[in-house]
Amino acid sequence: MIIELEKPTVMSIDYNQILLFKTNIRSEDDKKCIEPILNSHKKISEWNVDTEDVDCVLRIVSHSLTHDHIISEIKKLGFQCNELI
Amino acid sequence: MRLRDNLKEDIVREEAIKMLANEGFDGFSMNKLAKVSNVSVATLYIYYKDKETLLKVIGTEIGRSFMQNTLKDFSAKMPFAEGLKKQWENRSDFAIQFPLEVACYEILRHSNHGEYINEESFKDFKTTMQEFTHNAIERKELIPLSIEAFWSVAYGPLYTLLRFHNEGKSIGGRKFIFNKKVMDEAFQLTIKALTP
Repeated sequence: MIIELEKPTVMSIDYNQILLFKTNIRSEDDKKCIEPILNSHKKISEWNVDTEDVDCVLRIVSHSLTHDHIISEIKKLGFQCNELI
Repeated sequence: MRLRDNLKEDIVREEAIKMLANEGFDGFSMNKLAKVSNVSVATLYIYYKDKETLLKVIGTEIGRSFMQNTLKDFSAKMPFAEGLKKQWENRSDFAIQFPLEVACYEILRHSNHGEYINEESFKDFKTTMQEFTHNAIERKELIPLSIEAFWSVAYGPLYTLLRFHNEGKSIGGRKFIFNKKVMDEAFQLTIKALTP
């Protein structure tokens, strides 16, 4: 028996635009602290934090921002933030 | 431009299913998954936005392949006994061929994402199965009864046998392998119970 798996369309973006960071943004309250600055940032088209997993990965989609820029913004808010390699 | 690597993606999917089936929902992490799949955590997060997305995609895929297999050579218009037999055959084929997928699906179905996965996987399936029982009742081949009572009688015996098979033993530790003879035996009684 052969099973045919439908390939789901997860995302259709250029993967070079995805910036990933390991953080300590662990809770919904932590998330609320970073929300205003990330939501209002014109160069960020999409962002999310995986608070369900151990690395609390911050994932940002942006055409033009660099890792360093995000790291300094997040650190200013008192959180740890390192590029995820 | 970085490209998605389909081969890596398949390995990730396979390892995720294995990890969920063997270690459960609480034993699953993106970090561990990256290690066993031999990819970086970053690669995982390029493929999937977060853990929730990964679990939903995997759960929905398994659900859909289960549904496709279960509907193979089946039609809602079939006479009741013939159709239910086909369901038993298709369901047992899938469960025996893909035990890890089935275990993983069960775990995901009982997680927070269960409702989403259920909805996404079984849209058309539910309609077909409802039509099937509706037709059977109209033709007086099936006793009208509540959906819970119907399901537990129509499929309960099959899933009990499949559980014995999974565990490799039945009552009192007797060695057990699922086979056509025992399936037919249980099926005959099931049909007898459900027929007016």
